[in-house]
Amino acid sequence: MSRTRRDLLILGLLTGGALSPALAVAQRRSSRESLEDLLGRERRLAMAYEAALRRDAVEPAVGEVLLAHERAHVQGLERTLRGGPEPEATVPDPELTRALGGRRSFAEYALGLETETLGVYSDAVPYVRDAELRKALGSIMTCIGTHQVALRRLLAAPLVVHPR
Amino acid sequence: MRARLTRRAALGTAAALALGSCGGGDDPPAGAGAAPGSGAGLLGSLLAFELAVTAAYEACFDVLRGDALRWTREIHEDERRHADFLERLIRDLGGTPPRSKSREEYARSFPRLPDATAALRFMQDLEEREVRGFLDALADLPDPELRASVAELAVAEGAHLAAVHVLRREPAAQDPFVTGAL
Repeated sequence: MSRTRRDLLILGLLTGGALSPALAVAQRRSSRESLEDLLGRERRLAMAYEAALRRDAVEPAVGEVLLAHERAHVQGLERTLRGGPEPEATVPDPELTRALGGRRSFAEYALGLETETLGVYSDAVPYVRDAELRKALGSIMTCIGTHQVALRRLLAAPLVVHPR
Repeated sequence: MRARLTRRAALGTAAALALGSCGGGDDPPAGAGAAPGSGAGLLGSLLAFELAVTAAYEACFDVLRGDALRWTREIHEDERRHADFLERLIRDLGGTPPRSKSREEYARSFPRLPDATAALRFMQDLEEREVRGFLDALADLPDPELRASVAELAVAEGAHLAAVHVLRREPAAQDPFVTGAL
């Protein structure tokens, strides 16, 4: 199966048809809140990579790929939430503003943000009741694992770390 | 490109043949002894595969050099920790973990690995299969705490997959939804 087709299928899983009951499935209010939180964090990551690309704070070849992935995650979560909350107008994160000063500082910032986001997924996903939605969200978590490696490469950090 | 895909498919098939039966043989059913529906059986299948992957990585050591060998050893160490962790989970559920087979038994069913290129391609296939296995388990396991554990392992395998991509001189992060493959 081509990657594009597979990605569309996953997006399909995150959308209305197959997953229309998805949030009916995640019946507890906290599940919806968790997914909204995840959406907010994915939007924040997308905004960070957009800003870094504008300011040349990330190697373009890497930044563009990571941004495309974050946009796909945002799209998938928005569909799952049938839109979800509108992005909030916020003042620029001062940490991001500082991080945009250089490629190393941005990679460190982005790695921190990815890791934080992964933690939120880890807390929420096991409690999502719909099995297929859990799996689709798991594929985003696994993608974050690949982003961490990409960012560690930019930092010339070890390729493999031993978290467990 | 066509030839490359064909070779990859052939290797993937070999890997599937090599590892597909790793939980079978004369061993008791994976996770035997635990309460039905506890998830121990599924964890046992994952452990059996993890043990085969550990042996497969050892088979790759022979043809790798330099950074590729160094990082492959690190991944192998991770896989051993995953196997230990899965074994503990199964015992906690009252199950009996599947045992590792001998190196020779595993080696008989691995594809031929004449060089580093073949080894790295084999490693990529193994990691893809591991990601898929843990994500399937995330969907199927009944207990949220077990799901949390396999989700963590899926992320670790995703990171391994990215590392193998780097060793193959490819971009680390390739897809927005990393589903693994069979």
